[in-house]
Amino acid sequence: MSYFGTMDRQKNSDEFTRQLETHKLIIYKICHAYCSNPHDRDDLAQEITYQLWRSYGQFSGQSLFSTWMYRVALNVAITFYRKAKAGDSVIQLSEPDPETEYKPDDNAELEADINTLRQFISELKELDKALMILYLEERSHAEIAEILGITETNTATRISRVKDKLKQRFSQLKK
Amino acid sequence: MEDTTLINLWKQQDEKLQKNMQLNLFLLESLQKEKAAARLNSLARFKGWAVFLGIAWILFLGLLLYGNRFSNPYFSISVSAILVFNIAAVVVYIKHISLIRQLDYSQNIVATQNKLARLQASTFNLRFLVLQAPFYCTWFWSTDMINANPALFWSVSVPIALLFTILAAVLYRNLTLENMHKKWVRALINSTPEHTSVFKAIDFLKQIEEFKKG
Repeated sequence: MSYFGTMDRQKNSDEFTRQLETHKLIIYKICHAYCSNPHDRDDLAQEITYQLWRSYGQFSGQSLFSTWMYRVALNVAITFYRKAKAGDSVIQLSEPDPETEYKPDDNAELEADINTLRQFISELKELDKALMILYLEERSHAEIAEILGITETNTATRISRVKDKLKQRFSQLKK
Repeated sequence: MEDTTLINLWKQQDEKLQKNMQLNLFLLESLQKEKAAARLNSLARFKGWAVFLGIAWILFLGLLLYGNRFSNPYFSISVSAILVFNIAAVVVYIKHISLIRQLDYSQNIVATQNKLARLQASTFNLRFLVLQAPFYCTWFWSTDMINANPALFWSVSVPIALLFTILAAVLYRNLTLENMHKKWVRALINSTPEHTSVFKAIDFLKQIEEFKKG
């Protein structure tokens, strides 16, 4: 390999590492939404990182790095989740999450609401889960549609449907 | 409940996650090297084994054909036909492996997951293999056998071969994703080693279709 080739690769690698550092919470959040077992979550995070690195050469910069990252990470998470579900060994949806579960010094009502939200998201189907994560991440409808590959109208309709179910769940709990 | 309340709850969860984040993303050095080769997913691995067994079967059939050197046309034609079907199946599987390896996770989610689920349900792409069934009823035919007992040949061997031809044609026409609602088609798929992943893939394809409709 030429000197300049090595330099380019190094520059690419540095840029990728920098971008990854900036946006790593995205990976962490997606891993939490799709995988409740901490050990499998690490595997999923590694798989996402590997696939991001593998696809980075094709990242043209036409979309935001975060948009591209959501696409890769969600695709890998959905694939991982489906494989795990087929093996019936990884996903235990009702298992409490040690990283977000209630601690005595926390606000109990807030904790309960966070847990309800988390539980609701974990019960959603793979694609609706992706949709809801993107919505809660305050991505625009246009960006969500681009990431998912559906129309903006569909995006809006589905978001409102899932949101209604979620609000219903909260109102039932408050009664 | 307001939309902003939901988003705020999500943000609260973010804060908790951020506090506990221990993710070591920088195993890149090891990820970039030899580990990459080991990450070929299980679907490709399964198909890799199928290709290996398929090639072994093709070589065996080729040897039989070479040994016979067209001395018995019934044998040669039947084994040649079976050989062609199996070569085609191996080519289809190699194509699948290449598609799995080239799968681009940076494409939109519906397109990528649709492609992946179709590959998982690809047992249907090999339904042409059922058409080789009649040739398994004819490879042992010979002129000597026919001349020795023509009545037995016409009353038993030929009807069996015809029955398998009709059966193969019916199966070929019906073994499609669109016919999965038929009980007997599901039962037949259930008897294959890939059935769990095929059914899951089909259910997921339905989910994708519903999702696209909005």
